[in-house]
Amino acid sequence: MKPTLILVGADKGGVGKTTISRALLDFFSRKNVLTRAFDTENPRGTLHRFHPGITEIIDLGNVAHQMKLLDTLETANVPVTLVDLKAGNMSYALDMFDRIGVLEAAREGLFHLGLFHVIGPSIASLDEMAEISKYVKGVQYVVARNFINETNFFEWDQATHRKYFAQIPKALEIDIPKLNEMAYEQVDLAGVTFKDFVENRGPDGEPNKFSFVLRGYVRRWSSEIDAEFSRVKLIQDLLTGGRGAQLQPMAQAS
Amino acid sequence: MAAQPVIHIACSDRHRNGKTLLARVLVDYLMLDGRDPFVIDAGFPDGPLRNYFPGRTALVDFEATAGRMKLFDTILGSPGRDYVIDLPSEQTDNFFKACVELGFIAEAQRHGFRIVVLFVVDQNPDSLKSAATLETRVRPDLVVPVRNAFIGSTLTDAGHRTVIDIPALDPEIMALTEAKRFSFRIFLLDDGQGLNPPQKTRLKSFLYEIMVGLRNIAPAVSLQALKN
Repeated sequence: MKPTLILVGADKGGVGKTTISRALLDFFSRKNVLTRAFDTENPRGTLHRFHPGITEIIDLGNVAHQMKLLDTLETANVPVTLVDLKAGNMSYALDMFDRIGVLEAAREGLFHLGLFHVIGPSIASLDEMAEISKYVKGVQYVVARNFINETNFFEWDQATHRKYFAQIPKALEIDIPKLNEMAYEQVDLAGVTFKDFVENRGPDGEPNKFSFVLRGYVRRWSSEIDAEFSRVKLIQDLLTGGRGAQLQPMAQAS
Repeated sequence: MAAQPVIHIACSDRHRNGKTLLARVLVDYLMLDGRDPFVIDAGFPDGPLRNYFPGRTALVDFEATAGRMKLFDTILGSPGRDYVIDLPSEQTDNFFKACVELGFIAEAQRHGFRIVVLFVVDQNPDSLKSAATLETRVRPDLVVPVRNAFIGSTLTDAGHRTVIDIPALDPEIMALTEAKRFSFRIFLLDDGQGLNPPQKTRLKSFLYEIMVGLRNIAPAVSLQALKN
């Protein structure tokens, strides 16, 4: 099976991109899909803190690190490679991938490429989408609206929304639901994955005593996220060996 | 063999219909029966039950996450004893919604608890419907309808199921029992607590009728478990 490369990024900081990377890694773990991850928040990565066993910190501007990521897609024997792009680095990364032929290789079908673009409620986020639209041909482009901190997408009136999304007709929009603030904080504090928190396990897999209530909130949130991720064709294909349902583009979905 | 611990939830979809009185009698009944119940008073901030059971009551603000943690985590963190939860009507829906979302009932059963909901059915037909809905929505071990003669009830024919009846009591005697330090348990253990003989007789009869209903809960739960 062809390897899958998933990029998670945003050109704005603090929109929850690492949270979504963590949720994706948990999702694949629940589905028994092996993953490896690269955290480009060099030198100290947040993703690495939660998934130290499968995450490596790299500097995307460093050629040796680019090779470590891209030249091993097939040889790593892991179906999914996830890259958590540093805040504000998405356009740069896509441009760099374009220049060295990564996007072209994906279009030619050498591997599957997905881009999870995490956006905030501002018009600036919509501008980001317009800016990167030139890169997303042949890529499974997923716009992730992050409600985890009870974000209100009030700035998006229907006309504005349509105008921007018309430029990327094959984009899929998913929503990352809100997670109870105290539960979110406790997971952060414990430094464990969402999955381990739900299963009441500490960072080294040892039994823990996390609050039943907070675990319940995270469990419910995880199941809601699973439903959203399961709508992404790239993921459906991964789970079904290419027999996934047809992608429902955003234009149809809305 | 020690009896299985029970989480009793005294609730209703309407206020001022005798829930707290019922919870109070229930706690005293359990203590008279030699059990060691812990009380969760969700009537934040007043805590009407706390005054009667100092030292065995936790006051909980169920609106707040910290309050929910206090309620659910206290119970699951200290299994092996009975709990009585007094739920104000405005929290009833929230509470059972959280139970379903968090999977509390199943988790409590895994911790060895039986869950019994005591639902006060008043004169509004919706009240009876709400009680019936709880059985399928929440799936506790037992839902026991409660009729309060003082306010009336739409529940007339209860068939063979367990029902608790709260008889009417003179307002004058009721007022005496509402004094902060008044204990039904101590009263029944032969301390008049300031009541004259006719008042004592009427209060004893009132408590006896409620406790007859409460006594039927344990066999009904066991029977239900056998049916399941």
